Amino acid sequence: TVDTSHEDMIHDAQMDYYGTRLATCSSDRSVKIFDVRNGGQILIADLRGHEGPVWQVAWAHPMYGNILASCSYDRKVIIWREENGTWEKSHEHAGHDSSVNSVCWAPHDYGLILACGSSDGAISLLTYTGEGQWEVKKINNAHTIGCNAVSWAPAVVPGSLIDHPSGQKPNYIKRFASGGCDNLIKLWKEEEDGQWKEEQKLEAHSDWVRDVAWAPSIGLPTSTIASCSQDGRVFIWTCDDASSNTWSPKLLHKFNDVVWHVSWSITANILAVSGGDNKVHTHSPWHGGHSLLVFTPPTREGT
Amino acid sequence: MGKKRTTSGEGRERQRLPARRFRTTSPAALRADSVDGGSLLAPLLGLTDRAFSDCPDLADGAMEKMSRVTTALGGSVLTGRTMHCHLDAPANAISVCRDAAQVVVAGRSIFKIYAIEEEQFVEKLNLRVGRKPSLNLSCADVVWHQMDENLLATAATNGVVVTWNLGRPSRNKQDQLFTEHKRTVNKVCFHPTEAHVLLSGSQDGFMKCFDLRRKDSVSTFSGEATEAGPREWAMAGCVPILPVLSCRILRLHHSFAHGPMQDAESTANDARESWGCPLYPLGLCSGPQAGQSESVRDVQFSIRDYFTFASTFENGNVQLWDIRRPDRCERMFTAHNGPVFCCDWHPEDRGWLATGGRDKMVKVWDMTTHRAKEMHCVQTIASVARVKWRPECRHHLATCSMMVDHNIYVWDVRRPFVPAAMFEEHRDVTTGIAWRHPHDPSFLLSGSKDSSLCQHLFRDASQPVERANPEGLCYGLFGDLAFAAKESLVAAESGRKPYTGDRRHPIFFKRKLDPAEPFAGLASSALSVFETEPGGGGMRWFVDTAERYALAGRPLAELCDHNAKVARELGRNQVAQTWTMLRIIYCSPGLVPTANLNHSVGKGGSCGLPLMNSFNLKDMAPGLGSETRLDRSKGDARSDTVLLDSSATLITNEDNEETEGSDVPADYLLGDVEGEEDELYLLDPEHAHPEDPECVLPQEAFPLRHEIVDTPPGPEHLQDKADSPHVSGSEADVASLAPVDSSFSLLSVSHALYDSRLPPDFFGVLVRDMLHFYAEQGDVQMAVSVLIVLGERVRKDIDEQTQEHWYTSYIDLLQRFRLWNVSNEVVKLSTSRAVSCLNQASTTLHVNCSHCKRPMSSRGWVCDRCHRCASMCAVCHHVVKGLFVWCQGCSHGGHLQHIMKWLEGSSHCPAGCGHLCEYS
Repeated sequence: TVDTSHEDMIHDAQMDYYGTRLATCSSDRSVKIFDVRNGGQILIADLRGHEGPVWQVAWAHPMYGNILASCSYDRKVIIWREENGTWEKSHEHAGHDSSVNSVCWAPHDYGLILACGSSDGAISLLTYTGEGQWEVKKINNAHTIGCNAVSWAPAVVPGSLIDHPSGQKPNYIKRFASGGCDNLIKLWKEEEDGQWKEEQKLEAHSDWVRDVAWAPSIGLPTSTIASCSQDGRVFIWTCDDASSNTWSPKLLHKFNDVVWHVSWSITANILAVSGGDNKVHTHSPWHGGHSLLVFTPPTREGT
Repeated sequence: MGKKRTTSGEGRERQRLPARRFRTTSPAALRADSVDGGSLLAPLLGLTDRAFSDCPDLADGAMEKMSRVTTALGGSVLTGRTMHCHLDAPANAISVCRDAAQVVVAGRSIFKIYAIEEEQFVEKLNLRVGRKPSLNLSCADVVWHQMDENLLATAATNGVVVTWNLGRPSRNKQDQLFTEHKRTVNKVCFHPTEAHVLLSGSQDGFMKCFDLRRKDSVSTFSGEATEAGPREWAMAGCVPILPVLSCRILRLHHSFAHGPMQDAESTANDARESWGCPLYPLGLCSGPQAGQSESVRDVQFSIRDYFTFASTFENGNVQLWDIRRPDRCERMFTAHNGPVFCCDWHPEDRGWLATGGRDKMVKVWDMTTHRAKEMHCVQTIASVARVKWRPECRHHLATCSMMVDHNIYVWDVRRPFVPAAMFEEHRDVTTGIAWRHPHDPSFLLSGSKDSSLCQHLFRDASQPVERANPEGLCYGLFGDLAFAAKESLVAAESGRKPYTGDRRHPIFFKRKLDPAEPFAGLASSALSVFETEPGGGGMRWFVDTAERYALAGRPLAELCDHNAKVARELGRNQVAQTWTMLRIIYCSPGLVPTANLNHSVGKGGSCGLPLMNSFNLKDMAPGLGSETRLDRSKGDARSDTVLLDSSATLITNEDNEETEGSDVPADYLLGDVEGEEDELYLLDPEHAHPEDPECVLPQEAFPLRHEIVDTPPGPEHLQDKADSPHVSGSEADVASLAPVDSSFSLLSVSHALYDSRLPPDFFGVLVRDMLHFYAEQGDVQMAVSVLIVLGERVRKDIDEQTQEHWYTSYIDLLQRFRLWNVSNEVVKLSTSRAVSCLNQASTTLHVNCSHCKRPMSSRGWVCDRCHRCASMCAVCHHVVKGLFVWCQGCSHGGHLQHIMKWLEGSSHCPAGCGHLCEYS
């Protein structure tokens, strides 16, 4: 157990690319970064700047430096950057009309791109264009009532890389998935003109979709997305045929309570699911989807 | 529910405030006391007892009306829904009548009374009458007397305080006009228990206390007045004018007053001070007027202390006044950074004052202690314009903002970061909020600049807390799981109810949860990090494996053996076995036919199989560590190799099965003793199918043989025995196959094939499937390692894209684990162009011209600027494109070989500059 010294509920905890640092965010408006190397837990930074509960944090790929994005109830997205050992606010995006619920960095191959899903139903995409400038694209009304989660597809290049001469930037197809209060999961794809278009609508949940997680594509022949919902169900979506882009859902498990989070292990062979029962279940979706292990956090005495 | 009973019961509750003040316990006593209480203040305001008793309706009427209200509440007659109505103009303030059935809305150009009906607001009265709307009607604030339904006061933007008597028969209900303030009056406030006492606070920095039966204010309080020591009046030489009556009153007052504030602060000085109290003769009052005062934003009578009121200022100060002492405030403290726009006393008797400021904060102060103590601080998104405690909920207060944010929030002050509820109906700034009834927590009324009046129901509010995600989950790099969860989730069962989908009951739960009883576990989270090692999610093996695997630079067999050893030492028996198999497949092909033999035996039925099987297992099972031994004995001990090989082939065959099914071949590979035999039995029927992989099995012998040739370690000893195994194999075949029916022909065919022509890529299929299997298992490391180790042998069987994908995935993983060296090695060893150019892609060489020292922009070897070739070899006079060696003395140089050669024969610079160069 990590003592976070947060004064209110923690909404998200994310480990960085190298697994050495843990960022947590809380209702108490703060974002904290811990060094968790060698089982330790040293508070490195306490980032204050949000004026409301901070819902989610996301680490950018380290090739861009130490960058952390956080989104909050105060309608803002803040991008923090570490320079010379100190963390500072490097950019503030205030383009949403309501709480921003989710942030996710695109695969590093695309450059620094951040997707933000908000309760105002919009998803905005921030692209770093250099010299502290961020270009904003907004998908309005992506989810009616609100967007709860965004997750990028791993970087996959259409066709073989061989076709592209070295040195030339390969032509990536950028995709991400979003889940919202309209019980839908939507897949978005960047068109050639740079506009984002709804590519697919995945329908299976009967209540708010709380989280979506696109599996890292390590070794997997298919695209896979895990989704979980307020209705207690966890679905695994697979797309076997990339050309027709048809996705089929498989019910992994039905819980009796809300499922808040799904998270893939880095090799995408295990899915961790956390739900209202305050436990984490790990599943191996590829072998019958049986629950592997259940983790229960130690409860504080007296509660 | 009998109306009578309710009446008395609720009546008592309603009278709690006065009752506490005067320590009454029965309605009858209250009545007596409130008269008495009225008389307390009456003399102070220059009234006689007689004058006070001239207003009997205060006592009697009030009593009756109170009952009616509370009856309404007790019998839950107070019904309604979330609704709104359009106003003609933006509202600046609202106030609710004590009957909870009417609300007054005031603004710059609106002043109306609406009846709150069940389904809608109905306009009852427009108080803006007269042909020429005067500025007096431009209201900044409005307040409805909480004791008299007919009495209203408004604060005008031109500084006028107006009172209204709804009981007037004429259309114009205007009662009194006080034109004493010089600037906008921000706030008016009636005394909670006195009928005729009105307080106003203005932008001009003064607060004035009015007696509604007089034409002028009775006292003026200046915001500039500083907190004075107890004796300051005496030092200032002020001679108190002490009406005889007030002595009695003050004593009375102190005998009733209780609580720390009075006790701690006043009592000590009471004896001295109450006698020396600088009460100004009524009518003559003029408070300190010197200097420019700070603007007053809010004034509020304390509910707890009869004589006390609080005022807030634009400079961030809050002052506490005794209404009898206009010369100085009782207490002053800086509450906020910037203007304090509002304050509200806690309705329950606790001396708590909530203040809200432009600094976006709401602070709760405990005024009962000697120094005002900040109890809570709520951070909102925007400046706080109004704050109102929620009835019946000790820790709840509602706020609205002055700009930017149009929502109304209800906060639990103990949870200062997330609003407990949020009302989002308004489209413009909310200017006035009021709880409909002082004992009902669910109805909230609001007016807004968007020209609408709203009734909000608490249960319809959106509750950000409920939408908030109470859990965080993340997979770490090493397979550890970070999990943050709300600590009270398990304990608070009822808190989870709303999620179950039934939308009817949750409301009930919420209602029950919210009032008074502190909701369980005020949001704290526990963050735990689990190690998922037992589940196989741990990634330590990955790092170790990556570091220890040998991928190139040695003969294939050695690589396989080494890697198998590594895998085994890391407890990954399946992988170890695979490596061993690979070695066998690709390095000792001559044994394959014997595999056929075994296989056929296996097929042969129940008699042969168990024997064979158990044999195998006996050999393989003990830790699978037998390879080393087998390796040693490979060349000479035939039987061992046969066994080993047979098991391998068995496995590969099953691997073939594997490609069709979805199960894990690993189980077989591992050679677990338990269950193994059953599995094999199960497989038998399938083996019998003619179209099964076995029909092609014979072919596999051939490629293997060819592999031998280019496999360094194997060839010698294998080649020389190349024939014997076949012989022995076929012998064995014949022998064992004799009792077997179907497979006989198959095997003979196989031998025929074997001897003639064999497609070189049979194993490719098996290995490909195996690699795919590993990749899908998330072990892309294995896939890539095998790919590199086997090189050309398998590469052609796997499509480029997949290979690339594996490579990039693996490299990415390696980099995540900061295994730069391994990553670099993999990049170097990869055969995929896209992958091998990765290293180049991230490396940039900046070349400067050796003559003009400018950067060379073009790709060629000729400098754009000086048009000379850069880095010419001084010996051969060609451009040096590889290693360039130069003399640090004369800076001439050239191809390493050339220069070396030159300097062998001469010690002078080849360029002829005369420098004596030395190559060391």
